[in-house]
Amino acid sequence: MSNFFSALGDIFTNESLYRNAIIATVVLLFAASGEVVAEKAGTINISLEAMMLAGAYAAAVGQGRAGVWGGLGMAAIAGLVVAGVQANMSHRLSADQFVVGLVLNVLVLGIVGFLVGSNEPASHIVERTKVPVLAEVPLIGPALFDQPWVLYLVYPLVPAIWFLVYRTRWGLEVRAIGEDPNASDVSGLSVNKLRRQTIYLTGMVAGVGGGYFLYARSGRFEDSLIGGRGYIAIAAVIFGGWTLKGTVAGCVAFGLVGSLVLTIPSLGYQAIDPAFLAMAPNVVTIVAMTMFAKRVRQPAALARPFIRGLK
Amino acid sequence: MTSTHDDHVGGERSSPPAVELIGITKHFGQIVACDRVNLTLRRGQIHGVLGENGAGKSTLMKVLIGLVLPDAGEVRLHGRTVQITDPVNASAHGIAMVHQHFSLVEALTVWENVALGDVGRLDHRHIRRRVGEISEHYGLHINPDDRIADLPAGMRQRVEIIKCLRRDPEVLVFDEPTSVLSPSESEFLFAALRRVVTEGGKAVALVSHKLPEILSVTDEVTIMRDGRVVQSGSTGGTHASALAKAMVGRSVVLRREHAAFGVIETDGDQPVPEVAAPRRPAATEPALRLIDLSAIGRDGRVLLGGLTLDVYPGEIVGVAGVEDNGQRTLGDVLSSLANIESGQVLVNGVEVATGKAGAMAKAGIAVIPEDRHDSGCVLDFTVAENLFIADPDRVSRRGLINMATMRAKATQLIEQFSINCTGPNAPMWSLSGGNQQRVVMARELSHSPKVLVAAQPTHGLDVGAIEYMSDQLRNAAVAGVGVLLISTELEEILDLSDRIVVIYNGRIIGEMPKSEVDIARLGLLMGGATSDATTTIGGSGD
Repeated sequence: MSNFFSALGDIFTNESLYRNAIIATVVLLFAASGEVVAEKAGTINISLEAMMLAGAYAAAVGQGRAGVWGGLGMAAIAGLVVAGVQANMSHRLSADQFVVGLVLNVLVLGIVGFLVGSNEPASHIVERTKVPVLAEVPLIGPALFDQPWVLYLVYPLVPAIWFLVYRTRWGLEVRAIGEDPNASDVSGLSVNKLRRQTIYLTGMVAGVGGGYFLYARSGRFEDSLIGGRGYIAIAAVIFGGWTLKGTVAGCVAFGLVGSLVLTIPSLGYQAIDPAFLAMAPNVVTIVAMTMFAKRVRQPAALARPFIRGLK
Repeated sequence: MTSTHDDHVGGERSSPPAVELIGITKHFGQIVACDRVNLTLRRGQIHGVLGENGAGKSTLMKVLIGLVLPDAGEVRLHGRTVQITDPVNASAHGIAMVHQHFSLVEALTVWENVALGDVGRLDHRHIRRRVGEISEHYGLHINPDDRIADLPAGMRQRVEIIKCLRRDPEVLVFDEPTSVLSPSESEFLFAALRRVVTEGGKAVALVSHKLPEILSVTDEVTIMRDGRVVQSGSTGGTHASALAKAMVGRSVVLRREHAAFGVIETDGDQPVPEVAAPRRPAATEPALRLIDLSAIGRDGRVLLGGLTLDVYPGEIVGVAGVEDNGQRTLGDVLSSLANIESGQVLVNGVEVATGKAGAMAKAGIAVIPEDRHDSGCVLDFTVAENLFIADPDRVSRRGLINMATMRAKATQLIEQFSINCTGPNAPMWSLSGGNQQRVVMARELSHSPKVLVAAQPTHGLDVGAIEYMSDQLRNAAVAGVGVLLISTELEEILDLSDRIVVIYNGRIIGEMPKSEVDIARLGLLMGGATSDATTTIGGSGD
């Protein structure tokens, strides 16, 4: 038993546990902070995965030509392109948003796989930048403030999204159309246009998130880089009960579990099969979702297309 | 959107009217919704637009607020011809509509809803203050920080009105504003409306099919029928039966109106006149027995608290009560849509399994559901499909529907119940509300049921359709069906029932035969108070 506790102590005092947890959390945050806006407006944006992957690939290609900032810009554009398809298919042509999302995920994976084979991307890792003073805090200091600088972009992003949703007219309209599109329409809001805008926003933010993940994590682009994190980000939004605060908590929880999966074997603890551990994030996701899904109230018009005259 | 209409105030009488609709014509396919309709709205006046469902009054109003573009005709505001292309454009012209079904987002607060549809920076302090000012000015008291979901219908309508007034419109359109309100809420609404008209100098159009409302509130009235204006003039010089006649194009027996006025004027000491009421036969066995029904909602709320009730063949039992006292659950249980905690349902002495899909219908309980769009019919199916959807066996063999038989039988029912449609293949949505209700009625009665449950059967229907439905219920009773009429409209209950019971908090707390109706006691019971020692109610008032 004492072995078990010393092992726990080992694991939870390990600096790289927190470092990896933050890296994993932040990629979810980029995706989920956009997703929560789209969902508040009434779209379950399944193509989040495709947006991130497209962003990561564009970041890989763009860095070589225009540096990291250029790469991030291209990542945003790549995410926006995927978002353009999702938004216009589901909120202009009223195609089923899930079908469109799933098709995009498969399609983008295929395209990226094909392109990667033809031009070999090099290493893209961005070196760490230490924030003075803050990085000296034990354990979480280095994890939060001694990271590649692209990670720091998420710190202003989350409050900015909060302000956008809860303090601006646009945010009020977004919340209204996700709850009652008919009433919003009657009030003079352009429901489908607003929904498209939320998806564009999600696409850009998720694209940047994909780019960040490439630069901060491995530096090497593969088509498995995102590996289902788009879906986990969607789960984080549900876990968070469609609030931004809850979504952040969800991202942290899923990020921490993901990091444990890496840290436990690397410290030499082999009691649990690494392959079994790798399943943990998904199991946690399912358990969390069944626990929380019933308790919280989702936007009333979530996943329902808006067509005038139809209820 | 600040309008600059202040220069129009004063000297109004001689200036051109606020709104003139001239020769408005609108076709929907082959149907003429509006046929060269003229309508004039003046400042400082309430103009009633009266008509049956499908008379074209809603279309006309939609033209005014830009939801429908007319095929022909002209819209003039203050004498100037304008093109109203969409609701935003209408709002810019100072025209606002208070909708029949509220345009409020329930999850948002009052002030957030008021701010919806504006442009520019979101200044919550300013909007809150403005809500306060308007509510003060017109006596529409409301807390700007309340969530809509927590407010009752009357309060929601106040928000709706404030939302309109905030943009300072010159013309306000009210579409069936009292359909969801209690009598006292309606009274309050009309008092506020009067203030809006006199103090604010607005022009108001009030769309309604309630005659007493039009008579007591409006200054002028326009009556529409089949897309045309059949009468227009000052309200003062007319009376209820003249309006009703113009509206339906024939004399209707205004039993309901008499009953309504009887309630108000005689205070109950004069019983409502009997109109061909079926006599209760000396049947010993009830057609329907409900014994101690209890049901609890998913949120733990008591929906039915030991409801016991018998309905004998050939009688109409009216369940009176204020909305949300278990009526809906009672209807759901009898449609096999809700599960009960305990209790029994017996049809002709045989117990029926509750909560088992279709069991009630099989046992002989026909239901005209409360919400015909939700559970009464499938709007995208044809009339014929809707007529046989509950029991396709009657038009099919070995699981294959015989289309010819279905059409033939449907045609027969369409004739028998005088359903006004283009044929058995007409899509259900193309029918007016009254005709949709006839389809539901035809389907349910063609099963030769033992019990007929009618939940709010005339809700949202016009005078002619109400008369028809009432006759059908009476005929069913005469034919020996036990009829259970669940309604929140007391006039309807008084008009039709042989026996009246009062439901309160999911229980029957009082009963009286029609001959002994005591309005005062009925009112007390509906409010949950007992008027005599023999009746007790659960829960003490605090």
